[in-house]
Amino acid sequence: MTAYRALLRKDLLLELRGREIVPAMLAFVIGSLVLVRFGLGGVTQAGGTQAATGLLWVAAVFTSMLALVRSFAQEREHGIWDGLLSTPADRAAIWAARASATFVFLALTQVVAVPLFWLFFLQDGPSPSILVLVAALLLADLGVAMLGSLLAGLTGGIAAREVLLPVLFLPFAIPLVTVAVRVTVHTISPQTSGFHTFEGLGFLALYDTIFGLLGWALFEYVVED
Amino acid sequence: MRSSDGDAVVCSGLVRRFGERLVLDGLEMRVPAGERVLLTGPNGSGKTTLLRVIATVLRPHGGEVRVWDKPLPAEAKQVRPDIGYVGHEPLIYPTLTVGENLALYASLYGVDGGRIGEALDQVGLAGRRADAAGDLSRGMRQRLALARATLHRPALLLLDEPTAGLDEDGRARLAGLLASHDGSAVIATHEPDWFAEVAGSELRLAAGKAA
Repeated sequence: MTAYRALLRKDLLLELRGREIVPAMLAFVIGSLVLVRFGLGGVTQAGGTQAATGLLWVAAVFTSMLALVRSFAQEREHGIWDGLLSTPADRAAIWAARASATFVFLALTQVVAVPLFWLFFLQDGPSPSILVLVAALLLADLGVAMLGSLLAGLTGGIAAREVLLPVLFLPFAIPLVTVAVRVTVHTISPQTSGFHTFEGLGFLALYDTIFGLLGWALFEYVVED
Repeated sequence: MRSSDGDAVVCSGLVRRFGERLVLDGLEMRVPAGERVLLTGPNGSGKTTLLRVIATVLRPHGGEVRVWDKPLPAEAKQVRPDIGYVGHEPLIYPTLTVGENLALYASLYGVDGGRIGEALDQVGLAGRRADAAGDLSRGMRQRLALARATLHRPALLLLDEPTAGLDEDGRARLAGLLASHDGSAVIATHEPDWFAEVAGSELRLAAGKAA
């Protein structure tokens, strides 16, 4: 845990000093929501809530790519991998710290994005269950952060990583986004379609558990040369 | 300290490739406990790759490597606390301060934070603790790399061209570090004469083999 805490502190300090990731994520997600707001013109038409919710999650996933492609950027650009890998610290701690930092960045972005989403798309309509929405966001963010950090480590040494990372990441993110959208829509306008919110949240938790275990077990081999 | 535990490093038929390119080609090498071995040879002869394999950063592709009689990579985790590695790059975060960089490595090695001040004193960087590492000159970054590598008082030092960028004072401090280090060391250098007083033997590499 000492190594994990030190590495997480380092990742957060790097962002605090460099401000490379969170401002770019905020600009992207705000820009996306503004564009969608003007494009859709609200959610008054049938299916509008679902479309807007889907777009919120698509914007969230693409925003996360900004954080993921910059994962391990300093380690790569300044050759610091050798320094970290030659220490006795568990290599899984490097992954866990990076995933935690990405989770924090995503959550910070959504603190701005979600109220904006409500203002643009839901102000005149039904309000979501805040508790369920926050739970869905946190579970989905955790899944994105854990899977994305594993794949960022895997593609770290490849010249075309900016292209390869989204190609690998997005297919794995489809089930996460699909369920997150359904949970969010269900909290806004509950339907009797047989979908249960807690089953959706349970799926997100299962997804997190699987990629958490995979990341913890595989990262050592992912960064091995 | 492991100086009485037999050989520090034994490489037998060590092979390492990068893609199709054979960089270490059946290398044989032995570093007895407490001895300092100089690695010399032209650019591209495999010195850096050999140090990275011993530092447990690269996997060997063939042959056998043992550090303190522990085979790599199987028991890499057990030997890492005993290794201090200075690479081509200083292996530090330029946006963190000198102190923050060493505090990070101290945590990763499980070393008490009080040791940071001593390590900085040894390399003459005590007054630069609050400065961003990226603001240091090339020579000062090399001193910081030496402080980082010796922070946990390793029994085996692996130094890749440690004199690079160092001025006279920096070199004197490096000599002091080596004099006070009572463990083993493998030093890759193009200046074997400078290390003549501290080195016990020299291994010259050519095309990934002992020449």
